Amino acid sequence: MRLLLVEDHVPLADELMAGLNRQGYAVDWLADGRDAVHQGSTEPYDLIILDLGLPGLPGLEVLARWRAEGLPTPVLILTARDSWAERIEGLKAGADDYLTKPFHPEELHLRVQALLRRSHGQVNQPTLKAAGLQLDEGRQCVTRDGAEIQLTAAEFRLLRYFMLHPEQILSKSHLAEHLYDGETERDSNVLEVHVNHLRRKLGRSVIETRRGQGYLFGGQTR
Amino acid sequence: MRSIQRRLSLGLISVMVIVGLVLAQTSLWLFEMGLQRYLEAGLRNDSENLLVALVRGPQGLQLDERHLAPAYQRPFSGHYFRIDFADSHWRSRSLWDQELPRLEHPGLDSNLQLGPEGQQLLVLRSDYRRLGQSISISVAQDYTPVRESFRRMQQVGLGLGLAGLLLILLLQRITVRRALRPLEKAREQIAQLQQGQRSQLDDQVPVELEPLVAQINHLLAHTEDSLKRSRNALGNLGHALKTPLAVLLSLASSAQLDAHPQLRKTLKAQLEQVQHRLNRELNRARLAGDALPGALFDCDAELPGLLSTLNMIHGEHLTLSARAPAGLQLPWDREDLLELLGNLLDNACKWADAEVRLSVLETVEGFELSVEDDGPGIPEDRRKQVFSRGTRLDEQTDGHGLGLGIVRDIVETWGGVLQLQESEWGGLNVLIELPKRL
Repeated sequence: MRLLLVEDHVPLADELMAGLNRQGYAVDWLADGRDAVHQGSTEPYDLIILDLGLPGLPGLEVLARWRAEGLPTPVLILTARDSWAERIEGLKAGADDYLTKPFHPEELHLRVQALLRRSHGQVNQPTLKAAGLQLDEGRQCVTRDGAEIQLTAAEFRLLRYFMLHPEQILSKSHLAEHLYDGETERDSNVLEVHVNHLRRKLGRSVIETRRGQGYLFGGQTR
Repeated sequence: MRSIQRRLSLGLISVMVIVGLVLAQTSLWLFEMGLQRYLEAGLRNDSENLLVALVRGPQGLQLDERHLAPAYQRPFSGHYFRIDFADSHWRSRSLWDQELPRLEHPGLDSNLQLGPEGQQLLVLRSDYRRLGQSISISVAQDYTPVRESFRRMQQVGLGLGLAGLLLILLLQRITVRRALRPLEKAREQIAQLQQGQRSQLDDQVPVELEPLVAQINHLLAHTEDSLKRSRNALGNLGHALKTPLAVLLSLASSAQLDAHPQLRKTLKAQLEQVQHRLNRELNRARLAGDALPGALFDCDAELPGLLSTLNMIHGEHLTLSARAPAGLQLPWDREDLLELLGNLLDNACKWADAEVRLSVLETVEGFELSVEDDGPGIPEDRRKQVFSRGTRLDEQTDGHGLGLGIVRDIVETWGGVLQLQESEWGGLNVLIELPKRL
């Protein structure tokens, strides 16, 4: 899952990035509203966390421009302005959720999780379910037929992305774009290694390889 | 304050009456003086004729009858004379049995009453010397008809004056009413302003009212502007304080503190206290209260947005509905009302199982807002506790308490009443009665 964090307060951004990274998200960080308009609509983010008080361009304006361009990415607004009038304005501008500062980091993580699941058509459940697997995002482990299987951080990231996109063919480059932030070097061999690890832990049939197209997760359940 | 109309009328009446009376009386007096002078000339002429008619006869002085005007012969004809000698006097035949008293000084006198007919006489006494004797001739003329016509003139004048005064008063009333119409319009507009039907006064007014209306409009704009500015400043302050608070909260849960659970607990508790206090005070400071007379909340325009926002926050499993008469406008600030309804509905959504309903009603005394949910509700014996001073039930952190603190602040500012009841579904019904703004 690749996230864009637009926040001008550096210490907060550092904290949030660290927390989100621990949660297995690849996060790009921007501090200026004008940069955000451009990068938000060109890079394939799965979710954007947007602060409203931004230099360059106000957050609401940034959001309005994205929506005017037809950007469907879910946007979570992060703001200290918590009056209802401002909340309504934010959601009218096209936000999908609204979190007011200050907040507990866990609250943000839960909102991000819920928003990602919602945007992928998954109903609100404590765990992410797909192809007979249950993923506990808090503890970063997966349960199959009652047996708990431990995952490394990289495996967890990959599996979560697969589970949010079941029965879809995902190319290696698509996966790389969504699993690594803009500064990480993308090596498709590493991805293959992680897919193999997942297959070893969860069974070969969980992830099929479609030659020349990419990977298909959960295809066998049909 | 007395009405301007009445003051103008009173002033006008007194001025008109004083000036009218003085003017009428003076002109009458002047006219009478002129008339008397004219009559005096006639009388002098008569007296000189009499003097000429005095001739020396066989028994001394005698009056030549041929030279006498016939009016002196006919009784009470209105023309009389009296001729005084040193030791005797003659009277005209017209005096009949009446005595014409001799004036003390030569000259004109108009205040002599005489005769059975009560004729008022204008008498002229002139002294002469003729044929070696000093003679004093008094000639009189009936003045009554003149006096009567003067009285009639006075009456007619008074009547005309009164009629004129009434007419002027009427015209003045109409003029004043027309002149004051813009004032009345401004008054009506201020009333509309109070009821929230307009936000500015019409500035198409006469020159005299322009400064007033401009000043009021300026004041309104200024109030609105400073409210906006202070809200903005509060927003900035909130932003400036809450962002570092978010950092601190995040740090308090970081792994570095895993070894010091007690420290983490204290840090979190204190930060939460700061956060709660900050939220409460900032929200309270944002309230417009009664500062803006022109404030308006359009239910049709605002409620759908609020409900969809709440649905987005709490998920689609809740059915949120609003019942309000079409076109209903509440005379309070939009942000205040959104804050009130938002907090109430948010709270209801937290507790509700499936349904939350907002109803807005216009009653005789004002407005009635109620927010009902189908959640667990509050047992009757604990409802009072929510409002009793010192209770923490409504001051607890989001999601655990009732979130009624700010709601209570707003309702109190507006002079309303907040009640907790059981809803029709067994949950909580928060009923708020708000008085009309006057």
